[in-house]
Amino acid sequence: MLKKIKLSKYLSYLFLIVVSAIWVIPVLFGIVTSFRSQTEVVNEGFRLLPVNWIVENYVAILENTSSAPILQWLWNSVFIATLHTLLVVVVISITGYGYSRMKFKGRDFLFFTLLGISFFPNVVNLIPSYKIIDILGWVNTPWAMIVPGLAGMGNIFLVRQFMKGIPMELDESARVDGASDFTIYSKIILPLIRPVLIVCALFSFTGSWNDFLWPVIVYTDVDKMPVTAGLLLLQDIYGNYRMIGQLMGSAILAIIPTLLLFFFAQKYFVSAINLNSGIKG
Amino acid sequence: MKKFLSAMLLLLVFTLVGCSSDKNTIQFWTPLTGEDGAYMDELVDKYNETDPEFKVEHVVTSDMYTKMYTVLNSGNGIPDLSIIHADRVPSFVKQDLLEPMTKVMEAQPEIKAENFLEEAWNAGNVEGTQYTVPLDIHSNAMYFNKDLMKKYGVENWLDDNVVTFDEMLSLQGKLEEGDYVLNDALISWVILAQIQNLGGSIEEGGKPAVNTPEMKQAIEAVKQLSDAGLMTPYGEDGYLMFQSGNVLFSTDGTWSSTGHAQVEGLNFGVTNIYAFEPSTFHNRASSHLFSMLTNEERTDEKEQGIADFLEFIRQNSIKWAEAGQIVASKEVVESPEYDEYMQSFFTSTPEEEESLYIYTYEHYPYIQEALDTYVADMIHGEIDVDTGLAEMQKFVEDKVSEGSLDIENAETEEATEE
Amino acid sequence: MNNKRNFAPIFFVGPHIILFIVFILIPSIYGIYASFTNWNLISDPVWVGLDNYKTILTDADSTFYAQFFNGLVNTLLFVVFTVPLMIIIPLMIAVALEHKEVKFTSLFQTLLYVPGLISISAAALIWSLIFNKQLGVVNNLFGSEHVWAATQPYAWLTIIVITVWAGIGGNMIIYRAGINGVSKDLYESAEIDGAGPVRKFFSITLPSIKFPLIYTMVMTTAGAFNVFAQPLMMTSGGPKQGTTVLMMYIRDLAFSHGESIAGIASAMAVLLGLVILVISAIQYYVMSRNAA
Repeated sequence: MLKKIKLSKYLSYLFLIVVSAIWVIPVLFGIVTSFRSQTEVVNEGFRLLPVNWIVENYVAILENTSSAPILQWLWNSVFIATLHTLLVVVVISITGYGYSRMKFKGRDFLFFTLLGISFFPNVVNLIPSYKIIDILGWVNTPWAMIVPGLAGMGNIFLVRQFMKGIPMELDESARVDGASDFTIYSKIILPLIRPVLIVCALFSFTGSWNDFLWPVIVYTDVDKMPVTAGLLLLQDIYGNYRMIGQLMGSAILAIIPTLLLFFFAQKYFVSAINLNSGIKG
Repeated sequence: MKKFLSAMLLLLVFTLVGCSSDKNTIQFWTPLTGEDGAYMDELVDKYNETDPEFKVEHVVTSDMYTKMYTVLNSGNGIPDLSIIHADRVPSFVKQDLLEPMTKVMEAQPEIKAENFLEEAWNAGNVEGTQYTVPLDIHSNAMYFNKDLMKKYGVENWLDDNVVTFDEMLSLQGKLEEGDYVLNDALISWVILAQIQNLGGSIEEGGKPAVNTPEMKQAIEAVKQLSDAGLMTPYGEDGYLMFQSGNVLFSTDGTWSSTGHAQVEGLNFGVTNIYAFEPSTFHNRASSHLFSMLTNEERTDEKEQGIADFLEFIRQNSIKWAEAGQIVASKEVVESPEYDEYMQSFFTSTPEEEESLYIYTYEHYPYIQEALDTYVADMIHGEIDVDTGLAEMQKFVEDKVSEGSLDIENAETEEATEE
Repeated sequence: MNNKRNFAPIFFVGPHIILFIVFILIPSIYGIYASFTNWNLISDPVWVGLDNYKTILTDADSTFYAQFFNGLVNTLLFVVFTVPLMIIIPLMIAVALEHKEVKFTSLFQTLLYVPGLISISAAALIWSLIFNKQLGVVNNLFGSEHVWAATQPYAWLTIIVITVWAGIGGNMIIYRAGINGVSKDLYESAEIDGAGPVRKFFSITLPSIKFPLIYTMVMTTAGAFNVFAQPLMMTSGGPKQGTTVLMMYIRDLAFSHGESIAGIASAMAVLLGLVILVISAIQYYVMSRNAA
């Protein structure tokens, strides 16, 4: 018995270390490359460490943003992503409750119809979407970034799936005690789905942070751009001009905030919140 | 729930504080990302320092054309001035999206054909009406590695400024392992130059002509270079291989000089795209053009302001040479400072200037797209040349018939309404 | 009581439905409408009925017919290649991370999540350098004589590698949240019965995370059908358009340099949407039934 645990422990470690190594080496290579000159990249190829560490790539990026304020961009992104995420959590938990724990006619049909519609690739939808934002007067405002994403079905689908795993007996006994739907939602269900809400929050935050096509369309004011779209203005040209170190540098700068968020948020969604009676199929 | 409500309230407040475009600024959109945008910013800042009546607000967009479609469609937020590429002009004009530059030219008499490179100026001229004012020409160019040319003793190829197919073929079997004569960067531009060298055309009576003897000859000639093992292999990054010093010639763009200059020890120069004969050579080019999208709200005063800005650019765009582009203003090109820039090679003689060729055929973009899709497979022997040519012709024809159908329908509809 | 319960659902699902109608339904309906028109994105669409669908589905001579079917086959290949990997690998990682004696889980998890945050253009450049025949490591290591981006099956391999590398983070986290919710009592009683790790995985873990599994399966598949950036960046769709997925054709038709052909693009998008719909419905139905 003890031996078995030992063996599985070592196997787990072995697997995790091998996979993590494969996953992380390209990242390290990217980071290291951002400290290498173009000369070195084209002449030395794949090396894990630069011959000469240089910071010129980062200097160039920051100089290039002098006409476009990178700190302002970061603040814009934080504002947009945070507000978006808060609203997402509210919307998906309430809506998810409605689609999983309330009974009304055509509930599942309605849910799957909406989900199905959201699966259609939204290629030319850009044009009508912009029109709607224009009618709402949201062009060049953060609302164009914050609100449309709240309509998405993916997170609601996930929350609904998780909520379905929570036994209905909990609601029923509360209802016998005279609890309203809102009380059941806020006092019983919400605490139980906290891990998945944090997962959704993380997805929404990174999704909002990384979105680059839409902000380019809805903003004309460079000062109001989120950082990902802002840096894209640089990456575009580094990509076209094959300035490899600079491209890597700007990509690395753009991920630091979300990376920090992830590192600190993860302890919440894997913390030992015991769903007790269990998510059971 | 409280949080939700207060957020909703906040939302409402912000909604009311919508944006309003400033009446006294010129909204100026460009696709000039990165350093190019920074150079343009400098120009714009300098102009604004002259305290003009209409200040210019430069908006760089990484996806400008998509954004243009969206604002044109909603009719709101159309920019006052924008930079578009030469190949967009015919279809934009056809769709009535461009305002002629007539008033601008009246306001500033120096904005006229004689003061700009002919090819760039004419790219904005459709049936006698001038729709754009050029900023630059950016051309296909061939960079050469001086050290490698010396190593193989072929420096004399550059004596007439034109490297020929035959010259390159003479190195067959003489290259060291890992060295190549040329790469396949911007290969469809190279093919388009050969079509001109061969006296061919991409249209026949207004219809797209891709499957032509000239096209076939051009592709087969380049294929011959590839078959002889002189070209960097399919899928390899020939641009980086040039920078790492393994390739004699890189057929990329005038703007790449800044990128190549970053590589220490890369001893390079620039010349024309290779050709069949030293006497006939072309470089396929495009151009950044100032244009005004159709917008009824643009006042005559604002067009005056735009004219002032364009005149300022005409006089002061030496800054733009730093981006590696061939500046379109003759005053700048003829100034002594301009000679310091590598791309001044392309305006050094009348013959050079004439080698710059901008395609202005209405359906050119589809032809370019077809070449981009098929040519690499053809020259590297993945698909048979005749099959590829036929498929390209069909590709362009199908796109043309779909793309223009709506216009015809719209016209007949209007006709029946009348 | 009865009255109240009739209205309550409106308060719970109503606000989202309004958002959905405004930001998804209306644009989608417009997109479907556009598929029955000839449209260049700028002037008003001109109704052509079923012409676009006829061209795409029945006119074997048409470029659009060839593009649609080539793109669809390549998209299906991409789905078949990547989706199983994007389910199995993160699931194995999540199980390993849940092992009660494994430490540094936050570190492992972060390392595996980072690639998904890197922008696709930078990621593609990193992997292109790694796969690069001259400069890279892969060809030197495996002694391969081929240029991977231009030779099959390596062209697909490069696309699969970058996709899986960047794409497992999300599913990994969902599985962790799922497994984390499984009662520890279940495992303990199973251990008392003498169940080994493999049996515990199949008899406790897997059934317990049925809903997250269904969710990830459906969403990963739908996402894979919408792919375009990875093939575009790694192989430009080559060689011989052998890795050009449908979404690349659709985007080219709608947003390329020439005049936009948005009607045909929309029709292709609608057809792709129908394929996604049918496949996810089948997945959902089969998985929900089997695990019930």
